[in-house]
Amino acid sequence: MDVHLIVNGERAHVDVEPRRTLADALREDLGLTGTHLGCEHGVCGACTVLVDGAPARACLMFAVQADGAEVTTVEGLQDGDGALHPLQEAFVAHHGLQCGFCTPGMLMTAAHLLDTHPGADRETIRAEMAGNICRCTGYQGIVDAVEAAGNARDTPA
Amino acid sequence: MSGEPTTGSLGRSVRRKEDQRLVTGHGRFVTDLELPRMRHVAFLRSPVAHARITGVDTSEAVGTGVRVFTGADFADVELRAQSALPSYVETGQPVFAHGKVRFAGEPVAAVVAADRYRAEDGCELVEIDYDPLPPTVCAWEPPEEPVHAEAPDNVLLERTFTAGEVDETFAGAAVVVERDLVTNRHSGNPMECRAGVAVWDAADRRLTFWNGTQVPHIVRNMIAELMDLPEGNVRVIAPDVGGGFGVKAVLYPEDVALCLMARAMPGVPLKWTEDRAEHLLAATHARDHRYRMRAAFDGDGTLLGIDADVTCNVGAYSVYPWTAGIEPLMAGGLLSGPYRLAHYRATVRGVATNTAPSGPYRGVARPASVYAMEAMFDSAAARLGLDAVEIRRRNVIMPEDVPYKMPSRLVDDSGHYAECLDKALDLIDYPSVRAEQERRRAAGEAPIGIGVALYNELTGLGRAASAGPRMPFRTGHDACTVRINADGRVTVFSGVTSQGQGLETTVAQIVADGIGVTYDDVDVRIGDTDASLWGFGAFSSRQAVIGGGAAHRTAQAVQAKLLDLAAGLLEASVDDLRVVDGRISVVGEAEPRISVAEVARVAYLESHRLPEGIEPGLEATRFYDPIRGAFAAGAQVAAVEVDRTTGELTILSYVCVEDAGRAMHPQIVDGQIAGSIAQGIGGALYEHLVYDTDGNLSTGTLLDYLMPTSAEIPEMVIGHVSRPAANPLGVRGVGEGGTLGPNAVLAGAVHDALGIEIDTLPVSPSRVWEALHAQEVRA
Repeated sequence: MDVHLIVNGERAHVDVEPRRTLADALREDLGLTGTHLGCEHGVCGACTVLVDGAPARACLMFAVQADGAEVTTVEGLQDGDGALHPLQEAFVAHHGLQCGFCTPGMLMTAAHLLDTHPGADRETIRAEMAGNICRCTGYQGIVDAVEAAGNARDTPA
Repeated sequence: MSGEPTTGSLGRSVRRKEDQRLVTGHGRFVTDLELPRMRHVAFLRSPVAHARITGVDTSEAVGTGVRVFTGADFADVELRAQSALPSYVETGQPVFAHGKVRFAGEPVAAVVAADRYRAEDGCELVEIDYDPLPPTVCAWEPPEEPVHAEAPDNVLLERTFTAGEVDETFAGAAVVVERDLVTNRHSGNPMECRAGVAVWDAADRRLTFWNGTQVPHIVRNMIAELMDLPEGNVRVIAPDVGGGFGVKAVLYPEDVALCLMARAMPGVPLKWTEDRAEHLLAATHARDHRYRMRAAFDGDGTLLGIDADVTCNVGAYSVYPWTAGIEPLMAGGLLSGPYRLAHYRATVRGVATNTAPSGPYRGVARPASVYAMEAMFDSAAARLGLDAVEIRRRNVIMPEDVPYKMPSRLVDDSGHYAECLDKALDLIDYPSVRAEQERRRAAGEAPIGIGVALYNELTGLGRAASAGPRMPFRTGHDACTVRINADGRVTVFSGVTSQGQGLETTVAQIVADGIGVTYDDVDVRIGDTDASLWGFGAFSSRQAVIGGGAAHRTAQAVQAKLLDLAAGLLEASVDDLRVVDGRISVVGEAEPRISVAEVARVAYLESHRLPEGIEPGLEATRFYDPIRGAFAAGAQVAAVEVDRTTGELTILSYVCVEDAGRAMHPQIVDGQIAGSIAQGIGGALYEHLVYDTDGNLSTGTLLDYLMPTSAEIPEMVIGHVSRPAANPLGVRGVGEGGTLGPNAVLAGAVHDALGIEIDTLPVSPSRVWEALHAQEVRA
């Protein structure tokens, strides 16, 4: 089936079976392997992408459901000039990642969180990020990073 | 030789080399690999725990155009974990089950198709007939039908550790504590499941195997042996690996199958990406143990003797290559922990059952054995009216006791436990937590309890204390190659592997400082057996000590050659030269004379300028083996609130203090500790792989198998006691210690809060509620 969508600001087209997941279409058909699959049943959150601005589990969505949608993946977080997104920079600075496998999903969830809860405190961050599992960090560095990115955003330049 | 650099990167939390690609979605994980003509593999797994295979029919699947492999195809290849221990019963693990299946989830066939969807379709068309046999699920119940004919009682290994006069000691003791403790089966569950891509080049008879493994050199060695290939014709590549925790330190039948199938399909790359359901079913499990503990104390709380009987459920197969001994022998060797003990008897055994094989998991056995040991102190303290901290102080190994020969004859060279404990008590403000506990008791508010655990982590094991139960190899050494290129920048080919520990970063720091160049001028290549000479990989908290030691020695050797060459070019004495930040100067002179890049250019491109007797090139390869190991001390203390209505725990504060020796990258060290505590908390409170009596895994998804999230893991306070270890970098391993405390701390905190002994883990709300209810009925 023909699926037309906008991925990271660019028009994309894939021809997929109805059963093909959005995650597989992004990874295998469009070569965007930054979106990771950790459980393929919607619990771990590693495959989180933004579909029309809202977080979605790319493993639970069929590619055909994304027809006409605007999808943002971790590859779309950087500026056009290649500068890291403040969240990416904060994850590096605060050791918010170790193996990096859950990181793309964490970043996408956090990006949405900071958009919707600009002044999120640590408790809110912990509650809102609870749909993404990290096995390496014990979450300390992730909460530090999201908090720091939020604070940096709230501070007028 | 040069002196100490005035600047350097060790000890600073430099920007990790790995992070740029990982935060931008450009990591290189095995599943990201896409090769021309690639085909995808799905494994068909046994739906039953124990059965004879009476029929295999692949015709319908083959009719759809897919390729199918079954047990008959590779019946001559068997994984046999070997050990020279006298009681060890050696058994084999097939690539695909044939004859019979021994656990639900065991691979019985594989389908190769154009994509994973079609491969799974193919699996549905393969017909396997099973004639069920009675399964054994619990390791401490006698089997109706043995798992392996070679071991009629299912016992694959049994050993008794003894020291002193145990029976006499118990006869004369003031207090004897007896408890039977059962720990919950759980597993490492890295966020990236297992994965492999194998391709066979028939013309050159060469195999390339991308594998998400912690141990690529061991995999190369074993694959070559199992497939009867020259080892140099096997290349194993572990690119970015998404967590390991021991689960990926194993060579699995699926790995071997992938390579064998690739050889049967020359030139066709075969890719397998495990899904989480498969992972929970068939990747190694751990920690399914029972400890029958007796402890003898005198009237003032001095520990006199331990008499223990430990049974570990090792699952259906003796895990390759570590054997069924990995958990029981660790439990018996380290059970007494950081405590003085003269009279010790511990019989440990590994028992096969019709469940997934047990294997190494971060902390190997000690999260359970520390819990068993600390439970003895908690119970004895309650009986004797002593404070939980005080009874531990009276028994812990002190610096003046070191080197201390443990009753299992391991030698403890740390002794910094009490120092860790003191600092942890300071950080949690022990007196005020006790005061709050009293206040709540008096006011009838929700009770709080304090849990304490001390532990020793045996890290960086050299040849004299090598990991593993008398296996055919000794894991004490690693190699490193350091090359200064013609432009003066450095490339390191290290034998270490990384699954999140940041070894590219740490090794670069070590080499930069060891040569005298900047951190940014060093790149590190790891995880490719064609590039690095040798490394055993990531397990036993060994790489900072051993791989780091190899990097340090090699950097020093390269620096020596660099300075020899520079001395010749400058007509100076080598003893007067110093190299700092890539510039070489003569002692006493204000300005550097020459850069590392200029010297390197001579080494490769300007042989006419080479001093007499110096060969071209700037490279060295060295090994390092610490011979013994480095004990790392740790203490954890937590305050926990218990909801009497629901039995639910809330961790109010969690403190850990460890002796990591010299911290090469403080942020990475703290990250290792925080992550391992979180895994320990997961195992203590939530994670449980549950089999029903028929041997079906009833926790087969992450909806049933509960991994902790940011909502469950508390803010942690991490402190340090930094006592340099006796190795070139002064480091101690830090990968596993955090997992050792939480079982003991959280069960101990419930005991402290409510006076109820938690003998079965996890400490779930229902378990606490039931214990509370039983207490009320008794009262």
